[in-house]
Amino acid sequence: MDKKSDALLRRLVKSWANRQSPPDNGRARLLYEVAHLPHNKIDLDLLLFRPQYKSYPTSSPSDWTQTLFTWINENSFQVGLKARLI
Amino acid sequence: MSLDLEKAEAISDSQLIFSMQAGSLEALGVLYDRHRRMVFRTAIAITGDSEAAADLSQDVFLRLHRFADHIDPLRPLEPWLYRMTTNLSYTWVERRQRWLRPLEDVADWLAGARKDTPAYQAEMDDSWRQVQQAVLALPLSHRGVVVLYYVNDLSLLEISEILDIPVGTVKSRLHYGRQALKRRLGLLAGEIFPELQYEFT
Repeated sequence: MDKKSDALLRRLVKSWANRQSPPDNGRARLLYEVAHLPHNKIDLDLLLFRPQYKSYPTSSPSDWTQTLFTWINENSFQVGLKARLI
Repeated sequence: MSLDLEKAEAISDSQLIFSMQAGSLEALGVLYDRHRRMVFRTAIAITGDSEAAADLSQDVFLRLHRFADHIDPLRPLEPWLYRMTTNLSYTWVERRQRWLRPLEDVADWLAGARKDTPAYQAEMDDSWRQVQQAVLALPLSHRGVVVLYYVNDLSLLEISEILDIPVGTVKSRLHYGRQALKRRLGLLAGEIFPELQYEFT
């Protein structure tokens, strides 16, 4: 596609997109939601996708339970969750 | 921490992120005002649904606040916003295709030809609806590239980094998207911009 055709396509798609506007109450809604976020909410995204500790060396296959408990405890501290495993 | 809103425009994204990390909701508000149109337009161009785009925009900025401590203030914020917006929009479209679309089709069938009513037709000018339909007809992966390229004016390299795909893949998706849009919008382009009609022929 030549540059002129591409420029026209850009103008068409951009003009369509620019006709849309976000709602006026967006900022108020955002700040309300942020202010009312539960402080003790468990952040699963943070736990599952952004682990502070990525791996643990295991000396034998039977160490996996200890590894799991360690991982939960360390990540619990990270998000301020007090977890106690008995 | 308090921000002088009159001077907010002069404050860089980087400074605002530092303020947000220190707990300033005003900084989040300024960042929202600064980037909300870009985020919303990206979301609506991918989803085609204004309500969903509004909700997704909220979600993007909620995550900005939630993950503020993980954002590097010294790096540009826009790529982060684009990445979050496209990812959330992709997820919304995929979930809708899987679960909600069949239910909506049944609801439309039960309600009659809702989309043929004058009220619905008046919602959107016919020409622009055709543009929307052409964009939404693109496969999701191509649609994201087309939107970032044409709506947001990003370079191939920037799109590659935002979507985490090779530049060659960006090029091929863009090529496919262009051809598809040109096929569907060639005549329409001439109607909307008659002075440029010859460009498409």
